[in-house]
Amino acid sequence: MPQQTRPSLDDPRISIPAGSEWYEPAPTPQTERQAEFLTLKDGEMFVNMGPQHPSTHGVLRVVIKIDGEKVVDLDPVLGYLHRGVEKLCENADYHQAICYTDPLEYVSSLFCEAAPVAAFEKLMEVDVPRRAQYIRVLTMELNRIASHTLFQGWMALDLGGLTPILWSFIERDEIVDMLAALTGQKLLYNYYRIGGVNGDLNHEFMSRLGTWMSRAAAQIDSNLGLINENELFVRRTRGLGVLDAKTALRMGVTGPNLRSTGVPYDLRRDRPYLVYPELEFDIPTRTEGDSLARYLVRIDEIKQSIRIIDQVLHEMPDGPVMAKLPRLIRPRPGRAFGAVEGPRGVYGTYAISDGTDQPFRMRIHDPSFVHLQLVGPLTRGNLIADTMAVMASLDPVMGGVDK
Amino acid sequence: MDSALATLLATKLGERLLLPVRQRFDETEIRVSIAHATETLRILHDDPMLEFEMLIDLCGVDTGEEMQVVYHLSSSRSSDWLRLIVPGLERNAPRIASATSIWPGAEWMEREAYDMFGIIFEGNRDLRRIYMPDDYRSFPLRKDFYLADDASRSPAAGVRNMERAGTPQDATPATALRRTTGA
Repeated sequence: MPQQTRPSLDDPRISIPAGSEWYEPAPTPQTERQAEFLTLKDGEMFVNMGPQHPSTHGVLRVVIKIDGEKVVDLDPVLGYLHRGVEKLCENADYHQAICYTDPLEYVSSLFCEAAPVAAFEKLMEVDVPRRAQYIRVLTMELNRIASHTLFQGWMALDLGGLTPILWSFIERDEIVDMLAALTGQKLLYNYYRIGGVNGDLNHEFMSRLGTWMSRAAAQIDSNLGLINENELFVRRTRGLGVLDAKTALRMGVTGPNLRSTGVPYDLRRDRPYLVYPELEFDIPTRTEGDSLARYLVRIDEIKQSIRIIDQVLHEMPDGPVMAKLPRLIRPRPGRAFGAVEGPRGVYGTYAISDGTDQPFRMRIHDPSFVHLQLVGPLTRGNLIADTMAVMASLDPVMGGVDK
Repeated sequence: MDSALATLLATKLGERLLLPVRQRFDETEIRVSIAHATETLRILHDDPMLEFEMLIDLCGVDTGEEMQVVYHLSSSRSSDWLRLIVPGLERNAPRIASATSIWPGAEWMEREAYDMFGIIFEGNRDLRRIYMPDDYRSFPLRKDFYLADDASRSPAAGVRNMERAGTPQDATPATALRRTTGA
């Protein structure tokens, strides 16, 4: 095939003929829905957002059909971050597969590894030692707080406030440093192993955790003062992108986005795993289902996480942190589904074993992928600027969406 | 393990079940044929005693001999995950009815299964590629699609592997390298 040269704007062949309104041929519609989207009524036009837009939490492109300042319809275009993690996992052994799942959601990577680990443990029929279960709960709740505080800053940033993101990074950095002292990594921890965790709690982690715990609640409250009492923020998010419980269930929504509509569905309560049944915590819900409710539910969850960490630190038993397992993981043929409640919803992994040391099929379910579908229905009829407010409140992370 | 759910499913679904209900840890597994798939999902969703209101996951599986579509459902009435496996999709032209009439949120998950396996979901209004570019011709998660590392094992060795054309129509079961016994 001859090498194609990049067309120059000076090339007369591509000059825009006088009187033409749109010089790029529209893509041929492949489906009914796309044909409907590509048909422009009088006064409507397309605007492209992304794929480098700073408020899309990753590399997302959204084609928005607008009428004046109003969003008529929109079509998210995914795949800019697609790495084929499921295929890579099928070609890796069980331990390697866990590393591949880490970078999916880089802000809450412990949950991304917890789901496959849970599935593999079911395949191997192994019991995790009690101490390892407590350590997992402790680290996961820390990661949930880090993720939610970052969300808090992001949400304000997407609405045009620069200060809160700097404040929320204070909290996040403390937790990241703490987990780095424990796992040796700042972002992609790769800490959970099939049958336990990689290494017991160390002195540096514990001392950092103690210092942080002594002032965490007060610090988070003072961060909240920046946003919760901000009239601009509240007015822009209240009543925007309202989701009702019935639609949420039909759309497959989970996590805080579902709880903000009044459905108290939380895997920690409904499908108990690890030591959660023994811990005391509430499941915060709201009934409004708007962007503000989605934000406030997450804030309440931070407080519950601190409560869980407090109990875990008091009740953690001594003992081994790894179960006895062969080096080479070779489960019997079978299927298993492992799921955990992450900061965005249900992280699930469906693993099929064919008796070899590599998973035959490994399906990774990410809540952000499902939630991104809602951006269209929730923003229709609103202003363009509100697209950002809705999208930020759904809190998708593109690393997980694109897998 | 929720044994009440197993008996309930057996009575509600009856003849539609291809195999008896299987349970392991907190998972309940049932299998129905393609013809009964939508009907079964409808019963699971609507029946007041079952109430599987949440579709947690939908995915395709290529066993090397056939395609399967797997649904994971969750109900507030049971503490088990329900796994519905629809086996026996023809590998060269996999087709199944869409679940979007019950769960509109299944749309993107079906698009993903189409993108990765070529499974056609009849009734999905927006069935096009979601991750791969529109002009891409292969279906990457099929077992006859090899990663670059495995090019020497590929029947199309010598062709740049990622660009090798592949549609469900071209693919033959003989090209599948790994087969499963359990799935």
